[in-house]
Amino acid sequence: MRTFLDALYRLSGAFAALCLIAICTIVLLQVGANLIDAVAAAVTGTAIGLVIPSYAEFAGFFLAAASFFALAYTLRTGGHIRVTLFIQKMTGLPRRIVEIWCTGTGAAMAGYLAYYLVLLVVESWEYNDLSTGMVAIPIWIPQLPMALGVIVLTISLTDEFLRVLRGLPPSYEGLESGEG
Amino acid sequence: ASWDMPTPYPDNNFHTMNIKEFAEDVAKATDGALEIRVHSGGSLFKHPEIKNAVRSGQVPIGEFLLSRLSNENAVFQVDSVPFLATSYADGRRLWAASREKIEALLEKQNMMVLFAVPWPPQGLYANKPIEALDDLKGVKFRAYNTATERLAQLAGAVPTQVEAADVPQAFATGQVQAMITSPSTGANSKAWDFLDHYYQTAAWLPKNVVVVNTRTFRKLDEATRQAVLDAAARAEERGWAASEAETNAKEAELKDNGIKVSPPNAALAGSLSDIGKSMVAEWKETAGADGAAILAKYENK
Amino acid sequence: MSTILLTVLLIVIMFALLASGLWVALSLLGVGMVGMVFFTDAPTGQIMATTIWGASNSWALAALPLFIWMGEILFRSRLSEELFSGLAPWMTRLPGRLMHVNIIGCGIFAAVSGSSAATAATIGKMSIPELNKRGYAERMIIGTLAGSGTLGLLIPPSIILIVYGVATEESIARLFVAGVLPGIMLVVFFMGYVGIWSLLNPTQVPRERSDLGLMQKIYSARNLIPVVLLIAGVIGSIYVGIASPTDAAAIGVAIALLLSWVSGTLSWKTFVEGLMGATRTSCMIAMILAGAAFLTVAMGFTGIPRLLAEWIGSLGLTPYELLAALTVFFVVLGCFLDGISVVVLTVAVILPLVEQAGIDLIWFGIYIVIVVEMSQITPPVGFNLFVLQALTGKNILYVARAALPFFLLLVLAVVMVVAFPEIVTFLPSQLDAS
Ligand code: NA
Ligand code: NA
Repeated sequence: MRTFLDALYRLSGAFAALCLIAICTIVLLQVGANLIDAVAAAVTGTAIGLVIPSYAEFAGFFLAAASFFALAYTLRTGGHIRVTLFIQKMTGLPRRIVEIWCTGTGAAMAGYLAYYLVLLVVESWEYNDLSTGMVAIPIWIPQLPMALGVIVLTISLTDEFLRVLRGLPPSYEGLESGEG
Repeated sequence: ASWDMPTPYPDNNFHTMNIKEFAEDVAKATDGALEIRVHSGGSLFKHPEIKNAVRSGQVPIGEFLLSRLSNENAVFQVDSVPFLATSYADGRRLWAASREKIEALLEKQNMMVLFAVPWPPQGLYANKPIEALDDLKGVKFRAYNTATERLAQLAGAVPTQVEAADVPQAFATGQVQAMITSPSTGANSKAWDFLDHYYQTAAWLPKNVVVVNTRTFRKLDEATRQAVLDAAARAEERGWAASEAETNAKEAELKDNGIKVSPPNAALAGSLSDIGKSMVAEWKETAGADGAAILAKYENK
Repeated sequence: MSTILLTVLLIVIMFALLASGLWVALSLLGVGMVGMVFFTDAPTGQIMATTIWGASNSWALAALPLFIWMGEILFRSRLSEELFSGLAPWMTRLPGRLMHVNIIGCGIFAAVSGSSAATAATIGKMSIPELNKRGYAERMIIGTLAGSGTLGLLIPPSIILIVYGVATEESIARLFVAGVLPGIMLVVFFMGYVGIWSLLNPTQVPRERSDLGLMQKIYSARNLIPVVLLIAGVIGSIYVGIASPTDAAAIGVAIALLLSWVSGTLSWKTFVEGLMGATRTSCMIAMILAGAAFLTVAMGFTGIPRLLAEWIGSLGLTPYELLAALTVFFVVLGCFLDGISVVVLTVAVILPLVEQAGIDLIWFGIYIVIVVEMSQITPPVGFNLFVLQALTGKNILYVARAALPFFLLLVLAVVMVVAFPEIVTFLPSQLDAS
């Protein structure tokens, strides 16, 4: 189970990174097309009109996927920002209570959000909502990574919650940049 | 009751002003029993989210650009088929011919149309004189959906994707050289900063619709429902008149700021009209039986 | 419940959640949820889902992770050392020495970045380790970065000016041009402050080698060639018309990869580290933006911002009084919301007041950006603070205290543009003349 969960968080982090590369690639393809067009226009007098259809829309979808797939990975590596001012000096039981509160509330809120995100995906699927640009993409497809990402976040926060309940330190402890 | 109403355009936009008057009208007619709070400029929901927010009852009422739904069903695109309806009179007839089908489609998504108001007719903006279709050959032409992309291709221009926010910069750097949009959008984005020519091609009159969630509407009592419908009818009339006034005002503003405003010459108008015919034919293909029925009703004057 | 009471209650809840150590994005969501569940009839969960989806799939925002990634790549390349060895000889005579690199670096980087967080993050990633190693006062390192990072919003391109331009239907090109002089003015203020501070605290500024002749200085400036290539590539691609500002961010990544490959610092390890670092940071920022977007919508449903603005409108103030009141209002709101949310939330309500008072809307756009920039460096919610907290490991109060002098300089900048509106309006008026 432990191995499976750790692999799940790492895998979803890797997906997020791939989405970031995808944003960069798709934009560079369009810029390359523009460059070829500019050269063609300079040489032959007319541009070719190379277009990566809906590239801006695709970039936005990949951005959403990148942001949400990265949630659990970012949590475990201490990347999410919080105000550590009042809790940083706490140790022992008080600190444990703080972490139980944070991970417990976090898991509940993430679960709540995940539930409604799934409903949103289902609604988009039922009504066959489409994107509005040149390429008509069923909107549930780019929405799905968002729901999955928040589900994985819910799992990882629950995971952390159970850890601190058992008296173990949360896995982001010591990795947080905010701890000073 | 009180209704939160998201709208996409800012306060000084004529659509927003009309909607605010509609809201006051409803409040007055119902003695304050139904208060509509207008959240303009995407300050509650952004434009892409408004339709679905109304559909699922997150807000009872909202406004959006009808042809945003073109990918869902070509019937929603009817008011944005180039050179199908090129005047306010045509636009009214087209709305009358298409309203029923559009209402039926939106009804399936749990929404009822209250009223629709057109944008001023779409004109051709360019950074050089366009005397004939040949002058558009090889010109980088802003495309933002399939219809504008196809239009550019048929005109021999080079379709170029530019996001609305990037338009001024794209003109300034030569990334685009021509676009088709309303005099409102041109004047509001201060087109004179980056181009010189505006042709009153009146290519199409896209409409904004105001829709209400059907279930929420049914929950109102009979008198309130009637008051809303009456106010909507008045808002539609007022909106069409305001749109015409807006056309004149914004074209004058373009002119005052040094843009050469003129109708397209006969040669250009003829070529554009031909392009329009093939685009109408193509639209009819994709819009199926509903599309054919709308066209038959529209052409049967 | 009265609006004032509700506002106070929500502010208290926000403080409590943040202080309890709950992550910032979740605290914003939490306050929004309390506001909606207890004070409106609207379906909270659905609206949260819709809003978060809408706030996350944004083309304009796509530049943010790319610029962050570019910073991560540059951080692992030799560029930071080169930037210093190139700039250092020119700065050693200035009082404050290499601290000016933060300001000038941010000023230059702001010309390719539309966001203040990305500006602070990229320059900070490069400069914090260098300045620390050389023994500069940490408070000043953080302060200069927090302050100069805000230039990202003022010097074009600027995400927030695009938001304002769209909301008010003002020309974005004009707004961009209008931001240039105030941006330069702020650079001068910041450098002036660093100079004066250094003269007053000479012991806190480490010595730098300052015995280079002019030819040697020019020779050492060759180290700046990579940075210059990068900026020229990013701005040049926009200028020749093959890229939009967001496209340019991807070009920045490509050039940064190329530079680090040429300089021999690119390996599979550094590539993956840079990429994962960018993934984490942009995830963190995107989630805070999503939380802020939901809070914004929740506030819209409760009607708080509108009522507060209407209340200000009812006071019948003169233009100067109005601006003073608005400044206080924005600074208070900016303590809790991010800059873009502040603009989106209030512009619709405040604009009629502003137009009525006869204030130029382009000028007001720049004014609002400077005021909103302050909100980037005020606790508890300030993006530049979060970024610097992440970069330095210092707690937010320390970072905020370090940023305070620069906050006051932003106040001075507001006073200056109010007293001399030409600072803003001069360049746009030249557009008309041409
Ligand atoms: Na900038
Ligand atoms: Na703040």
